[in-house]
Amino acid sequence: MAVATIPHSPFAHDDPEVDLLYSETRELRVQGFLLFMVSDLVLFSSFIFAYLYLRSSGQGWPPPGGPKLDLALASINSVILFGSGATMHFALENWKHSKFMKFAGWMVATIVLGSLFLSGQVIEYAKLAVGWGDSGIFGAGFYTLTGMHGFHVFCGVIYLTVLLLQATHGTYTFKKYTGLTLGTLYWHFVDVIWVVLFSIFYLL
Amino acid sequence: MSEAAQHTIAHVERILAVIFGLVVLGVALVALKNDWHSKGIENQVFKMMLGLLALGAFLAILAAFNVLAGHGVEV
Repeated sequence: MAVATIPHSPFAHDDPEVDLLYSETRELRVQGFLLFMVSDLVLFSSFIFAYLYLRSSGQGWPPPGGPKLDLALASINSVILFGSGATMHFALENWKHSKFMKFAGWMVATIVLGSLFLSGQVIEYAKLAVGWGDSGIFGAGFYTLTGMHGFHVFCGVIYLTVLLLQATHGTYTFKKYTGLTLGTLYWHFVDVIWVVLFSIFYLL
Repeated sequence: MSEAAQHTIAHVERILAVIFGLVVLGVALVALKNDWHSKGIENQVFKMMLGLLALGAFLAILAAFNVLAGHGVEV
């Protein structure tokens, strides 16, 4: 029996053997990606709980002399990231309806919004004007968690750019687009993590 | 930068956060409604994440209005 592989080709749907393999393994690949997201969630959870533990065991919060966070900047920056989740959703929906140009437009919008969020983070770090070493428990928790999240956003921006390039070069078809679905899942995951971080740093 | 200019920038940021937050909240809720009957494991996760996205937008709007503000923030 010939061993079929899943080719990265726009003509993948022309091969019935590949079609069969695709349908048989699709669920498995989605589950594998979800497992990766769960492991990432555990990583974030451990840091979040460590921060909350330190916060609850201190003498008042924030520690005296600690940096003050800019709520207005954080609000607009959060909305930018959540907006990118909405544009990513539109991108996938347009792909499902075989509208390539609209898909590409929404993907570019998502990438731009993700980059804007990262710029907002850089501005916030610059405004805080306290370094990693001299900011105490508050700064350590803040920089570690927001930095880790920012790194995920940065990776996500690269990931989405690669997906857009792949889609442009015919890697996905309008029937087989698991990679795009997984990219959307990852981007929503990054959004949802920010809901938690925004709440614990700016609202609690 | 003068204090007045900083206040103006913060004011503009808050207004934009409320306007775009309302848009994102509306879009997330409509998308959730449209996807409500979709099946498949990834669609269940999508629905959960769209709900949390709507919650995040709602929280950002409240924060922009200073309804919700933590202890370590400038309001």
